Order: sequence, then C-alpha cells, then structure tokens
Amino acid sequence: MRRLQSSTSDYYERLLLRPLPQSSLLASFNFRSNESSTSFEQQNFRYFPRSLGQILQHAHTKELHLRFSLGRWDAASWGQRPWDGAREGGTGVELWAWVEAQSEEEAFSRWLTLTNALSGLFCASLNFIDATKTIRPVMSFQPEGDHHDSSNLHLLHGTLPHEVVCTENLTPFLKLLPCKGKAGISSLLDGHKLFDATWQTMSIDVRPICEIGGSECILEMEQTVDMVLDVDRSKRPRDNPIPRPLPIEEIACDTSKHYNAEDTCYPLDKSAEPSWNLTEIFGRPMKGACPLTDEESEGSKTVCINVPPERTVQVNTTGPYVETKQADDTVRCYKLPTGVDFDLLLPEQQMNTALVFPQPPLFAARSINGHGQERGSVQAVIRNPSLTEAVEFVYLESLPWFMKPYLHTLRARLSTSPGNPIKETYYRPAVDRHRGTHLELRMSIPPDSTLTLTYDFDKAILRYTEYPPDANRGFDVAPAVIRLISHHSSAKSGIYLRTTSLLLPLPTPDFSMPYNVIILTSTVMALGFGNIFNLLVRRFVGADEVQTMGAGGLKGVIKGKIERLKARFLGKGKKDQ
Amino acid sequence: MSLTFRLLIPLLLASFAWGEHTSNWAVLVSTSRFWFNYRHLANVLSLYRTVKRLGIPDSQIILMLPDDMACNPRNAFPGTVYNNADRALDLYGDNIEVDYRGYEVTVENFIRLMTDRVSEDMPRSKRLLTDDRSNILVYMTGHGGNEFLKFQDAEEISAFDLADAFEQMWEKKRYHEILFMIDTCQANTMYSKFYSPNILATGSSEIDQSSYSHHADNDVGVAVIDRYTYYNLDFLETQVREPTSKLTMGDLFDSYDEEKIHSHPGVRYDLFPGGEAVARSRLVMDFFGNVQNVEVEGGISRNETAWQEELAAIERMINEARRSHNESLTARPQPAAEEAKIGETKQAIRKEGAMRVDGESGWSKQLVGATALLGCVGIWAAGSWLEKL
Repeated sequence: MRRLQSSTSDYYERLLLRPLPQSSLLASFNFRSNESSTSFEQQNFRYFPRSLGQILQHAHTKELHLRFSLGRWDAASWGQRPWDGAREGGTGVELWAWVEAQSEEEAFSRWLTLTNALSGLFCASLNFIDATKTIRPVMSFQPEGDHHDSSNLHLLHGTLPHEVVCTENLTPFLKLLPCKGKAGISSLLDGHKLFDATWQTMSIDVRPICEIGGSECILEMEQTVDMVLDVDRSKRPRDNPIPRPLPIEEIACDTSKHYNAEDTCYPLDKSAEPSWNLTEIFGRPMKGACPLTDEESEGSKTVCINVPPERTVQVNTTGPYVETKQADDTVRCYKLPTGVDFDLLLPEQQMNTALVFPQPPLFAARSINGHGQERGSVQAVIRNPSLTEAVEFVYLESLPWFMKPYLHTLRARLSTSPGNPIKETYYRPAVDRHRGTHLELRMSIPPDSTLTLTYDFDKAILRYTEYPPDANRGFDVAPAVIRLISHHSSAKSGIYLRTTSLLLPLPTPDFSMPYNVIILTSTVMALGFGNIFNLLVRRFVGADEVQTMGAGGLKGVIKGKIERLKARFLGKGKKDQ
Repeated sequence: MSLTFRLLIPLLLASFAWGEHTSNWAVLVSTSRFWFNYRHLANVLSLYRTVKRLGIPDSQIILMLPDDMACNPRNAFPGTVYNNADRALDLYGDNIEVDYRGYEVTVENFIRLMTDRVSEDMPRSKRLLTDDRSNILVYMTGHGGNEFLKFQDAEEISAFDLADAFEQMWEKKRYHEILFMIDTCQANTMYSKFYSPNILATGSSEIDQSSYSHHADNDVGVAVIDRYTYYNLDFLETQVREPTSKLTMGDLFDSYDEEKIHSHPGVRYDLFPGGEAVARSRLVMDFFGNVQNVEVEGGISRNETAWQEELAAIERMINEARRSHNESLTARPQPAAEEAKIGETKQAIRKEGAMRVDGESGWSKQLVGATALLGCVGIWAAGSWLEKL
C-alpha cells in the first residue's frame, strides 16, 4: 500500500554541480513532485502546493510554464545550455500556458485571471501581462504534457522583460517546495548568492503525464533553479563583498617582466582550479537530505558533481553518506545523510585534463541599429557552428506596440548561399495600444554558416501619461525565442535558446514642460489681463489731485463725497468772484 | 450574590472589549524611485521588519516598493538593504513578500487599495481586507511638499485625496483606528485635511520645513535612513522589545527630540474620540503589533449550556457533510452527465492568432496589375477618340 502511494505521488530532487571555465560554477537544482490527477481534482494535495494547484484549477490552466531570469549565458565559453535551454526564460519574467476554454475571449479572460493570481503568489508584476504583451505562438511551443482533448486548449504567451527578479520572488518559490528550503538541496538557495550570479533562471513547469494506453494521469510539477556563480565573487564574505587589493606579498608576480620590482608586479594568471566548498559558495551549509525523497532507488542520490576523475572532492559531514560514480567517473553522486550538515570541499588543484563541454547547436545575438528618434532596425545574427549538419529552427519575436516593424523590409541573408532561408512566416501586426507585433519565422541554416536577419521599424510617440516614471532609461524589448526543430532530441521539452533583451530608446519629452507652459502662459495672461482690467475700471489722476481722506470706511467715503460737492460749489463761487 | 457577580464579570469584560480591535494591518508605502532614494526604501523596510517582529503576519502587511534596491546593479551588497552604516541588520533578509512593486506603485493603486475598489481578479495578497475592528498603521515616505506627496517622481497625491480616501474607508467601515505616519518634507501638511474620526496622525516636519536624512554609508554610497524614521525605530527597537509591552503612543511622541530630528514633528489628536488624553493612552502595540482580542458576542445573554448546544450543532453539521460527501463518492461515476458534457464541447473558434504570410512568387499578380493598367489606358484612349467624333 505504501509502495503504491509513493509511486503515484512522489517527490524527487537533484543538484548537479559543474565547474565551468573562467572559475565559474554551474549549479542546477531540480525538484519534481507528482500528484495523481484524481486527487488533484479532489483538492487532495500531498506534495503539489495547494496555493498553485487552486490557481490552476480556478483559471482552467492545463499546462503552465513560468520563468524568472537574470543575466546572460555565455555560450561561447560555457557551451551548451542546461536542459538544452528548455528550462530557461528570457530576461525578466516569461509565462506561457495552455488554458482550456470554449472561445478565444474566454481563454483570454482566464489568462488574465491566471496572471493576476500568479502576480499575488510570486510577488511579481505579472498582472502587467495584458493584451499588448500577450501573443499566441503558432510553432514555437509545443505542449510538454499529454492532453486528451487539445481542441479546446489555447496557448497564450506573455513576457515582462523589464521585470526585476529578486528575493521576494525566491521566497514564494521556496514555499512551494515540500521541504521549504529547510532541508535537502533547497537549503542552499540563498537570495544573496542567487541574485549575485552571473546568470540565473528559476522555472516552474506544471504538466499532466499519462501512461501510454492507460487512463490514469499524474500532474507533474517541476521546479528548477540554474545559476552560474563566479567562484571568486561568491567566496567573498557577505558583510565585506567589495574586492580590496591583496598585499603584494600574496600575489604571484611575473618575474620575466622588465619592470618587475619589489613594488611593481604583473600578476600571473592562476592556472590551477580554485578551491571552494558548498558552504562558502552558497553562503550557508546544506542541511542534509530532505526526508521526503526516495530512500532506496536512483532518486536518493541527490547531489552530483561533474568533474574530471583526477579532481579531488572531499566530503565533510558527520552522518553516513554514499558515493557513487557514473559516466566514466566524470559524475560523482552522493546520497545525503538526514539531519546533519553536508559539505563538499574541492581543494586548489593543478589539472592535467579538462572536461569537454558539448557545443551549443546555434549561437544567436540580436541588436538594434540606426540612430535618431524616429526609426531604427533590428539585426539578429544566428550562427550554425556544426560543420556537417543543417539546422532548422523557429524564430519568435514579440514586439511591443510602440515598436512598429515593416515586414517588407524583412531580409534574411546567408553567408554561404544566396537562397532565401525563410520557409514559413506567421505574422500579426500591432494595433496601437491594443496588441503588439507577433512575428514567427521558420528558417534553416546550412552547416558552418551565418544567418543575418534584419528588419526596419518605426518608433511611436507615446501619450504624455503613457510614459513610465523612468522613461529616459528606455523601453525593454522581449528577447527573441529560438526553437530548434530538426535536431535529434529525445526530450519532449525541445531545444531552445533566447537572445538578450533589447533597450529601445523612444523619443521622450521633457516632463516639466507642461508645468513650464502653464506657468509661462499664466504669467502672460496675468500681465495682459491685469493691464487691461486696470485701464477699464480705474481712473488715473495726478498725485496732487488726490485729496487726503479722513477716516476710512463708509464714513470716509461719504465725507469725501460731501467734500467734493462742497468744493465744486465753492469752486464755482470762487470762479464767479 | 454569586449569581450577580457572575453576571457582572462578562458585562464588565464586554464593556472593556468594546472599542477594541480584533486585527492589525499595516500599509507601508515608499513613493520614491531611483537609487539615490535608497533611504526611503530602507525606511519602509525597517518599519516592515519592526511590525513583523511585533507579530503582524505578511498576509496583513501591504508593502509597496517602487524600485528595486536589493538586486540593483549599483548595490555592492547584492540581495540586501541596510538602514545603518554598521550593517548589522539585513532588512531584505531571506523571507520578504512585496505586494506592490515597480510601476504598480501609483496614486491610483494606493487609493484603490485603501478603499478596496479593485477588479475581481485582484489577488487577496494585494488587498486590504480590513473591517470595522481593524487597526491600520499607514506609513508613507518619499518626497513631498505643502499638501502633496510625490509618487515615483511622476505624479502626486494631495492631502485632500488622502483625506477623502480615509473618509471613504470610514463610511465603508474599513477601519477601527488608524495611525497615520509620514516622513517627508512638510509632512504635517499631509494630514491637515483629514476629517474622518478615529485617526491619529503624526508627521516628521512642519510646513516650510525639510525632513533630513540621518547618515550615509560610504560603501552603499548614499544616505541609508531618514532622521524621523531613525528615531521612531530607535524607540520601537530599544523600548518595545516584546508584544506584551505596555508603552503608549504618548511615550512614543514624547521620545521625539527636535534637536536630533532637525525638524518639528507634529501630532494630530483632534480626530480621535476623547482627544489627546485617549489618543496618548493607546498602546504602541495597538498599531505596531498584532493583538487579537476575542470578543464574546452577546455578553451576558449567554448561559452555560449554550456553547455546548452549539458544539453539538456543529458536530451534527460535520456528520451531515461527511455523510453527503460519502454519498457523492459512491455515486461518483456519472457517465450520462459526462457524455452530455462532451456533446456540448465543440471545436473552439480561433481567430486571434497570427496569420500565415506567403511571399509573392510567379507573375500572376503582376499580370493582373498590367492588365488593369492597360484597361485604364484603353478606356482613356477610347474616351478621347469618342470626344474627337
């Protein structure tokens, strides 16, 4: 009975550490929890988080993919992306989901419900994904799960490239895990190190998985955190993170330089692998195994490190642990003890061999060209490094409405052949303030060649109230998503890569201008009106003509009148004389 | 004798409980964007840590942060915000929930939050779900002036807007008592227009006075906290050490030292029923802590057996619910109903997606164009020929 339960609703977690060139370290955390779909429908949650489950049920969402990303993956020196890029998103926040609905309108209203609910759960401004940021990709995304009836499923996709990813997003992410960051590999996740990483991405994927031919389905939730840490940077203490120069005695100097002296030094490059341990790198110790993981099978080996066989790895723990070696000794996995701290120590070591990292199937870079406030052009350079194989891929752009591309200027050139690499185009033009541009291209690159894609665009002028408070910073344009379709991939999730986001400077007015105009016109009005008003209602008399008044008020006025009358009569009398 | 005594005690307790609150909420708002306004976010986060320490849970704190300081590339201390140059306390910490952030911090959203005029999709964590027994601490900080407070350097909230929002809250029975605290230049003008009852208001500086920052951290590179907030925190952190503290708001207001704050903090008592004396006797914990008083409905009219009867009734309800649930479980397979549902579902209509665009190939369109042109020329020629006749 117990066995059956653990097979239908189980929990799995794994951490893979892989040192990368330039003293970087890739840490891939993976957490999976399953729930049978019957118990999910009855709201009987075991490992699947209730908070997220109820949102999915409320919004009729059958499959969900949510990404929080920061930084840039340096493909040239780090090689292929973890999970083939399928578990990463564009800079900021990216969300796509298959929503069940009878019509497009219903799907969109459920999508808005979903984004609003998720914004409350993950402390992110996901509610800003409105109609202008939502697209319906045609070729770029395929469902990862098994859906019985896909005719009523609607794929919606939205990105927020400007969204900041910080500790408040990690807090709810950890709360979704059954061990809540208190035990197991998730106890290493610390916002102070995660958001200091050169590149990091957090992902949440929910999908139904059905047995082939069987009617019983499970709902699988996968959470991953991938980050590339700079080892030297991460080793700095948290209270003193600012790098200070070392005393000259501790620096290895290049003595072959002619200027090398007691006080001048050209520091030598360190060829040895740096020393590090988990506690130092992640800022906190690992608190032993999460007791919910499988005890016996493969799933119990939760920490793996991918280093050459000659690299020394010491284990520091007081509890019992098991070490196993896989893949020609290049992967060492550890079964963690429960309840006690666990640490891996790698001393500084001069290495003779290095691991060969697989090359990425494509390199992609995108930039904005042109100058001025009116128009510009986008150029994407995609390179196929393979010497033998052609690559076919889908290129997806989701542009904001205020960036208006001209499709007739779309050009794709290959460095090796004159042919047109574009096989298929899907396009939906933008409507001002209602929706953005959606451009999807299926292209292929022959081996060892470069594809250059360019198109021109116009910049819109926004209304005064549409500018954000920091308009002078520029506007973020979401990264382009590239999905490889020809490549042999066993995983259903596919192979993806994304370009970096772009910063689009728009013509920005001087926001104090309306106040200046109001103040200036008010001054002119006041001057003009005041003069005319004075001319109309006042009588101008010489200073000597004004008679001194007695006491003010009504009495004074009457007195003055009487005086004037008296003066007139008396004056006449005087003239008569 | 004993019977009257028995009746008297609940009566006394009821009269004591009357006028007390049953929940505590905090709305903590920073209104400044940009790195050089680090201190305003540090102010708000300091208050967030304090109210959290004194027991208000995250679900009852609405935190508004207009910019990201912790993960800002300019921050030499990633993931942290400090409010003191000694950097003893990391305000951002490991467990923080920001409800409104970035561009969401606007005057409209703030007023909608206070008056609960939100769309139906608004998640609960972003709403102020208070009632007429909720005490609310409203703390605001930013750049302001005479009767206004700037939001993100782009828009302003005026003292009149704020006063009207509070009045609407009072009309909707959304608060029991409010402590309004504001740290900005000419802060006391912001509460001068309030006209709703049960509000105790305090601000950092008088009209035509600036509020100043306390000190800067050279490694952070900017000022880290404002003076008024610093001395409020000084009192709250050193004197109010546990939730049982009996210190009063009067003690807090008396701790303000104008020499140290460099401006004249003000307090407005007149909206509070009972005036200055009652307002000053309110406990600090009534606003900064989370005290949950249980109120017994009806007081004296209840007898000894009533609660037992109620318990029995609840048990009957539970049994009934359990029975109906079990019945529904046994009757779960409903193929007929499901079939009917399947019959209803039809292929959803799709029209919103992108359309396929095909490049023009071949001469067909060019031919059509050329024919049309030639036709026009022909008609023109025919017309001129007919005119000649």
